[in-house]
Amino acid sequence: MYVKQISVYLENVRGTLREMTKTLAQNGVDMLALSIADTANFGIVRLVVREEQIPLTIECMRSAGFMVRMDEVICVQVPNKPAGLDSVLEVVDNAGLSVEYIYSFTISLENGALLIIRTNDNDKAYEALNKGKIKVYNQNEINSL
Amino acid sequence: MKTAVNKIYNPEIECMSREAIREMQNERLQKTIRLVYDKVEVYRKRMDEKGVKPEDIKTIDDLHLLPFTEKTDLRDYFPYGLFAADLKDIVRIQGSSGTTGKPIVSGYTENDVEAWSEMVARALYAAGGGEDDIVQVAYGYGLFTGGLGAHQGATKIGATVIPMSSGNTERQIMMMQELGATMLCCTPSYATYLGETVKEKGLQGKIKLKSGCFGAEPWTEEMRQNLENLLDIDAMNIYGLTEMGGPGIAFECLEKDGMHINEDHVIAEIIDPVTDEPLPYGEYGELVFTSITKTGMPLIRYRTHDICCLNPEPCACGRTHVRMSRITGRTDDMMVIRGVNVFPSQIESVLMRVKGVTPNYMLIVDRVNSTDTLEVQVELSEEMFTDTVSGIERIRDEIKENIKSVVGISVKVQLVPPKTIQRFEGKAKRVIDNRKLGF
Repeated sequence: MYVKQISVYLENVRGTLREMTKTLAQNGVDMLALSIADTANFGIVRLVVREEQIPLTIECMRSAGFMVRMDEVICVQVPNKPAGLDSVLEVVDNAGLSVEYIYSFTISLENGALLIIRTNDNDKAYEALNKGKIKVYNQNEINSL
Repeated sequence: MKTAVNKIYNPEIECMSREAIREMQNERLQKTIRLVYDKVEVYRKRMDEKGVKPEDIKTIDDLHLLPFTEKTDLRDYFPYGLFAADLKDIVRIQGSSGTTGKPIVSGYTENDVEAWSEMVARALYAAGGGEDDIVQVAYGYGLFTGGLGAHQGATKIGATVIPMSSGNTERQIMMMQELGATMLCCTPSYATYLGETVKEKGLQGKIKLKSGCFGAEPWTEEMRQNLENLLDIDAMNIYGLTEMGGPGIAFECLEKDGMHINEDHVIAEIIDPVTDEPLPYGEYGELVFTSITKTGMPLIRYRTHDICCLNPEPCACGRTHVRMSRITGRTDDMMVIRGVNVFPSQIESVLMRVKGVTPNYMLIVDRVNSTDTLEVQVELSEEMFTDTVSGIERIRDEIKENIKSVVGISVKVQLVPPKTIQRFEGKAKRVIDNRKLGF
């Protein structure tokens, strides 16, 4: 029901992000989704890859000296039209959840965009989205993108 | 094999009532003060300057009237300036090379060597030692008090002593195994190294050690756990200092709940390192010792610069002598931030309680708009790293709150990337003070 996400800690220093993308490129990692959170002191890069590439991604990041962690997040399909995102967030909001972050996939599907939503409670969010008839993608579905 | 059982070497003394200890201390203090006043010019001059006569010192409550002794005094009056006995009565010199140049020495009469041996004997008994034991001494032998101190104590309890001295790890382990050593005496860091080597060699089941007395450097509960697991022993803390005569001034029993101070030989005080005022039991401050049985070089109110606290409650083991906590820091690295005394060790203990925090940190003191600031730089570890910015900020705030509640001042906490804080091979330097306090 969840999708695996890899987070990478980046020091807020010129060239660090490139260092990371270079490592991913050299190892042939195909990013399906990517977001960067930046603060004055550091950044967090979050990415989604196909399951088969997860061990490779983590390993190459670690051996390049990056701090990495893996989390489970929710991936939803959002109608590609005005108010599309709002209809999803309405469900999350009505369930009393707060959103930590959202970002979208680089690929768009015919029937909508794919979004990663991270709320303060994965299980509750999953349940609410299901009830609200919002299509939630699992890792297998992501793998075949 | 953890088979050590509690034994008391001198129950009459070690378990005497608090009142009786006090009586004994009063009497011995008077005698010692009379001795140093008569025989040590420095003490006579200092007491005269303060207008204190030996007869003014009647009980241990009068201690505060007496001048302190500092480590610098041992250097300034090197070699014999603080001796209270004639050289013909001095049977031993021990000393420390001193990391700052001039050495310091301590002189022992026969009586002093005897008292010292008994203090270590008590420590070894408290660690379950006795005449059936084979004690491997891996402290250095020589001027340093560790080797000979442990040796004499082990001899006193009738144990079999293996005087290995320090170093040559392969040989240490070979002898330990072949001779079937049951107790080990050395520094905790060397014991850990021995333990790691034993483990590497796959000899863990072949070592017969049951316990050990480890001292001469500060160590932590975490180090104890690790050492006990490595060697499958009870690892006991023993405290001492060359100036007071060497190891055995205080020692742990198997309760491992503080070190019993040999109060029939020394009086321990805790003082505020800034105001020099005595502090009540239970409060952390600087440990100060007064010798009350030494005749070679008795020191009066010797400032150890070690930070700890004292507990006068009788111990579950039956001993009644006051217990000192582990040394939590040195007054030398105390910082005064906005008038509050702050020790790096306090901050370190807070940090170590936060999940995922490594012992790599740096404290940066500065003065901004005439106000002192303290920034605590902590290395982020994989365990602390989360996928949300707020998650990382929460950890930062948790550290900040905990420091505030323990130390009593607000600090700025900065989480820095892994491996960016300098590593130290020797003694770590954790404080950078950027305050310009020139006049």
